[in-house]
Amino acid sequence: MSGDDRSGGARRRGRAALERLVRASAAERVFISTAALVLSMAVGVVIVLAAGRMTTCGEAAAVYFGVGFCYDPFAVYDSLFLGALGNPINPLFRPLEGQFAPPFRRGWSPLNGQMAVTLRETTILVFTGLSVAVAFRAGIFNIGTQGQLVVGALATALAALYASPLVAGLVGTLVLIPFGLLVGALSGGLYGAIPGALKAYADANEVITTIMLNFVATGVALYLVAGPFKDPASAANETVSLPGYAIFPPVVFEPRDDFSVLALLFGVALVGGVYYLLEHTAFGYDIRTSGIQPEAAEYGGVDAERTVVSSMAISGALGGLGGAVYVLMIIGNYQTGIPAYGFDGITVSILAGNNPLGVGFAAFLFGVLKSGSIVVDVNTGAPPQLVGVLRGLIILFVAMPEFFRLLGRRVVAIEPERPVATDGGRPGDGGDDAGAEAGGEVDE
Amino acid sequence: MDRRTFIRGSGIAGIAALAGCTGGPTEGSGSNDSENGNGTGDGDGDGSSGSAEVSANVGVVYATGGLGDGSFNDQAQQGIQQAESELNISYNDAQPDEVSQFKSFQQQFAQSTNPDYDLVCCIGFLQKSALAENAPDYPDQNFMIVDEVVEEPNVASYVFGEEEGSFLVGQLAGLLTTREFSAGSGSTNPDRASVGFVGGVEGSLIGKFEAGFIAGVARANADAEVQSTYVGDFNDPAGGKEAALAMYNSGADIVYHAAGNTGTGVFEAAQEAGRFAIGVDQDQSKTKSNYADVILASMVKRVDTAVYTSVENVVNGEFDGGNVTTLGLEQDGVEVVYGQQLGGQISGDVKSEIKASQQAIIDGEISVPADPANV
Repeated sequence: MSGDDRSGGARRRGRAALERLVRASAAERVFISTAALVLSMAVGVVIVLAAGRMTTCGEAAAVYFGVGFCYDPFAVYDSLFLGALGNPINPLFRPLEGQFAPPFRRGWSPLNGQMAVTLRETTILVFTGLSVAVAFRAGIFNIGTQGQLVVGALATALAALYASPLVAGLVGTLVLIPFGLLVGALSGGLYGAIPGALKAYADANEVITTIMLNFVATGVALYLVAGPFKDPASAANETVSLPGYAIFPPVVFEPRDDFSVLALLFGVALVGGVYYLLEHTAFGYDIRTSGIQPEAAEYGGVDAERTVVSSMAISGALGGLGGAVYVLMIIGNYQTGIPAYGFDGITVSILAGNNPLGVGFAAFLFGVLKSGSIVVDVNTGAPPQLVGVLRGLIILFVAMPEFFRLLGRRVVAIEPERPVATDGGRPGDGGDDAGAEAGGEVDE
Repeated sequence: MDRRTFIRGSGIAGIAALAGCTGGPTEGSGSNDSENGNGTGDGDGDGSSGSAEVSANVGVVYATGGLGDGSFNDQAQQGIQQAESELNISYNDAQPDEVSQFKSFQQQFAQSTNPDYDLVCCIGFLQKSALAENAPDYPDQNFMIVDEVVEEPNVASYVFGEEEGSFLVGQLAGLLTTREFSAGSGSTNPDRASVGFVGGVEGSLIGKFEAGFIAGVARANADAEVQSTYVGDFNDPAGGKEAALAMYNSGADIVYHAAGNTGTGVFEAAQEAGRFAIGVDQDQSKTKSNYADVILASMVKRVDTAVYTSVENVVNGEFDGGNVTTLGLEQDGVEVVYGQQLGGQISGDVKSEIKASQQAIIDGEISVPADPANV
């Protein structure tokens, strides 16, 4: 029937597109991401304009084609991206109109406060992104990075608080920060190992267990911070603030910026470390093969249970480190209402194609968007909900090609570009395709 | 359908829909040519010309939860909107969604030069620690905070005299518990003089509500018994219901709550037991209209008054940095609002007695304790 033919054709085309996507080179992937970013902004402009016509306001923020709009989409995107960097561009610099003033605004420095916000969000997201990436590479969907981050943050805040009277000054900084990070990593790692063990030894679905353990972590933390460990002097549910020497020193930024280059460098070092672990060690090879084909990995001598538990422990430790850095750099104690860094980490990881090296860039994009939203909220009339939509669009558009690529790797058999003669009993290309087609017919 | 026809058709429809939207700017669009483009405002001439028309620029940082919470933030917005229309100010507001963002938002307003904000309003006690760190960094920026105290010379702190309003609702409860009173779905048991108080989390803040309430009950009826309990959570309606049911079962007619959403359980319990309850923070017979048949009155905290007063001070050049302003009954910071449905059935002599106490508190003839230990 013609209908079947058409659906078969569409299926073949979709399959071909997936294969093309799977085989895309690194440069092509960067190009696809950039194009997706531009496309998402084009769609966003239309949405902002439409929203600007649907609301009412006193005076127009922008006039296009003689029609007034309540929100100016270009001002919104300007604030979203350039605002996050502290507005670096000189307003007199308009190369399109032939004015070549210095491109950077006078008084702008890369060490400004808004840049610090961008980088500190980036820092935390590097940890949570890595956490999710390690688990995904092992074939485990760790949705529980948020819970591991909460546990790490709480444990760090309490351990550093109770250890802080023992040391002071520079020694205090040198002792307490590594100690706090260690506590965060250990507690987050242990908390991550629980769903790992449940999956390995009891065959419990890790998606369910990690989601549930998120609620457990947040609930128990609330109980502890509202009760036994509450700062009696505060109306909020928070622990007593850590002394100044237990906080990451702000090296080149202002202390009020709550950002330390040291923490970012630590995150970057971990990016390299996790990359090395996954790509260049035997253990990393175990993780990757378990992720691609668990049965084959086990046949090849990989201890499947141990790999699941240890990769979840590493994933949890990275999430816990994120929580520790959040406490030791940003907030200075544990306070309920931890931002959803863990869930953002899932998107960061997918955006990066689960590649540790990509996590850094994806986290930076996220950091820009989170920090830029603050500037948009303050400087333009656009409501934060609208900015949330624009952020979501950007992430959706940029992440989707990568998402389909990851999906495609599972669906489309990864065949070598050129047929390999030595692969034994493997059926030829034509036979394989025919089999797939036949399977498709049966499905219908 | 041909793909091109479809795209063309939907494009035309989209543009038509966009142009036909009923909203958009209401004024003429000729006056804003200079606004576009120069966001960073390096030219000192045109930056200030816009702000010359208004008497002050105010930035507002709301509490997490944002606008539309039907409570704290919406009330604060009412205050700033009232200031906008009456004091000719211009305001810009921002809605953080995480506690860790308060600091960045406050800094954004404090750093801004176009416009240069004359006052930054920080709504809610969670902003205290962020503001305590920011205020010394921006000594020339005026801040105000609602519901907490930050001791810095450039911060005006506004807190409420919750005990004064609670005193009045306590008196109301004390007067009604021994009367034959039946309205809506509730009725009193005049044989027993017993009322109740359900608190959220024990602490100095909720202690003010409890202390005022107990003192008010004692003022009305020295023999009346006050059952008092804390649920330990502001968002536990089930716990609130349990606590209130226990009170109603042991003879209480009227239960006053200062427990946030936990109080919803108190209202449920009142409906189940056929007794009365008293709301808090806002007119809860409006905001929780399902329970309007048991809510006698509400002790309202006027966050809008705090915001309006602070803006008014700045406009008059009387910014009271470093001071703590307590908004009690006298300053309209707290008040008793009778229930929408039941208020009309409360007899006039009860209301006039409460009015008399209100005047006595304002005149300083009654001093209301703020700590339950001192009642």
